[in-house]
Amino acid sequence: MSKGKVLIIDDDRDIIETTGALLEYEGFEIHSAESVEDGIKLIDAIKPDVILLDIMFPEKKTKGFEAATEIKEKHPSLPILAFSAINREYAFDFAKEDIKADEFINKPVETERLVELINKYIS
Amino acid sequence: MRSEQKIESPAYADLGIVIRWFVRLRWVAIAGVLGTIVASKYLFGYQLPYSTLYIVLALLFATNLVFSRISRGSNLGFAARKAFAAQFHFHVCADYLFLALLTYLTGFLQNPFIYFFCFHIVLTSFIFPKRTVYFYVIVLGVLLFLISLGEYTTVIPHFHLGELSGFNADECIMRIPVRFIGLIIMVGITGYLIVNIKERLEARGQLVELELDKYRGLDRAKSQFILQVTHELRGPVAAVRGYHEMIIKGITGEVPQKTRDALTKANRRTRNLLTIIDEMLDFAYMKSEEEVKHASVPVNLKDVIDYNVELFKPMARQKSVTLRGNVPKELTIVSSRDLMNIILGNLITNAIKYTSSGGTVSVSAEPEGRQIHLQVVDNGMGIQGDEIGKIFEEFYRTRRAREIENDGTGLGLSIVQKAANLLQGRISVYSELNKGTRFHIYLPLMQAEEV
Repeated sequence: MSKGKVLIIDDDRDIIETTGALLEYEGFEIHSAESVEDGIKLIDAIKPDVILLDIMFPEKKTKGFEAATEIKEKHPSLPILAFSAINREYAFDFAKEDIKADEFINKPVETERLVELINKYIS
Repeated sequence: MRSEQKIESPAYADLGIVIRWFVRLRWVAIAGVLGTIVASKYLFGYQLPYSTLYIVLALLFATNLVFSRISRGSNLGFAARKAFAAQFHFHVCADYLFLALLTYLTGFLQNPFIYFFCFHIVLTSFIFPKRTVYFYVIVLGVLLFLISLGEYTTVIPHFHLGELSGFNADECIMRIPVRFIGLIIMVGITGYLIVNIKERLEARGQLVELELDKYRGLDRAKSQFILQVTHELRGPVAAVRGYHEMIIKGITGEVPQKTRDALTKANRRTRNLLTIIDEMLDFAYMKSEEEVKHASVPVNLKDVIDYNVELFKPMARQKSVTLRGNVPKELTIVSSRDLMNIILGNLITNAIKYTSSGGTVSVSAEPEGRQIHLQVVDNGMGIQGDEIGKIFEEFYRTRRAREIENDGTGLGLSIVQKAANLLQGRISVYSELNKGTRFHIYLPLMQAEEV
């Protein structure tokens, strides 16, 4: 029995592999998508408990934010943990408050903390 | 938002202040007029319609009292712009009328104070655009012409101001045309000059604005660059750390102890690398922030401290150090979350790093008068006396810091100090060797009315 279903949406395959493996090791069921479009399609099929969403995509910097809004509109109760390699607000063009995410995590994150955060949202 | 407070022309920047300044100036003028009237009566013994003068002065006093009440009730802002324009028109008209009345009753063209109209035109040009100023100059010219004509044709009486200019009343009336032309030229030239000077200043102001826009553009480009660099550098490090951790945890298969140890070290170095990347970027950011004002918003200090304490709990746990946050109540400061994260992040990681297991690191904040007193306290190794003066220097690393860790930029505390300075705060440190270190940061507390 898994501790919960986590959907990772990130364009970096290595991040999916490592984060996925480390979370799987902690007992979570992992699903992943390399694009926002695929990720959103997967939500209905697998019904994840938590989404780990990379908010910065190279082709369009705001794509992750838009995706977060879209997901929240369709699934208001689905927790989104926004994931980003950027750890300073001054590097954003927008305020964190504008983004529909429950939590912000900077890459890389200690697995221990990530697990803590995921557990907080899986009740 | 801050940018909305920006007003297009400096002349409009603080309309409320200008109005209050007008009111104050008028109080001074009223006192001056009263003094002059009293002096004319008792010192020089001029024959003037004193009771009428006192009534006019009383009226001026009452008018200014009304203006002062209105100005206190008015507040700044775009919506009030029209109301302000109306107020200013009232002020200007009242001033012209009262000065005309007062000078008329005291010799008019004969009275040197009549040149105060030039001063009034200067004040008018402070607040109104070119056309309005010219309009007022023309209206004033007509008004002066009518009074002069009235006096000259003896339709209205001339109130003679003694023998001040050596002429008697009739001689004065004869001189009205010449004096009128002199006055009108003076008023006209004043209007023309002041409008031109003002236009030139405004043109220069616009140039400065354009330059500023250019810098704002550069600032945005810089932020974009930082964003890119952070993303490019942190992304790969995140992946490397992930793989290391996978191997260390045995997810990829059985790992010999020696390999595990080696990877643990590699992992620690990559974490240091990450800190270095962050510090370099923060440092670059601070350097340019000194030139460009950072965004200041109300920040809930309790939230920021709680966030940072939570963030560094795993790091503290790994070293068996207790990390505690203690903010008794909601406190709001004017800051940017970034700067606060930079300050707290650096101080907390330092404190954890230089405290041995079993030790305690605590972060606390309390109001002290108009300030917030923020403290990051540890009972770690402390700083040696000869080094304590240097720790805020750029690139300086203490001997013990270098013993503990090879990697480091020595920028952390210098960044913290810069961040504190940017927030109009100050930082100081108290340390006792082998007993602990205490960092004090004082930041301005946001006042209730500012929130």
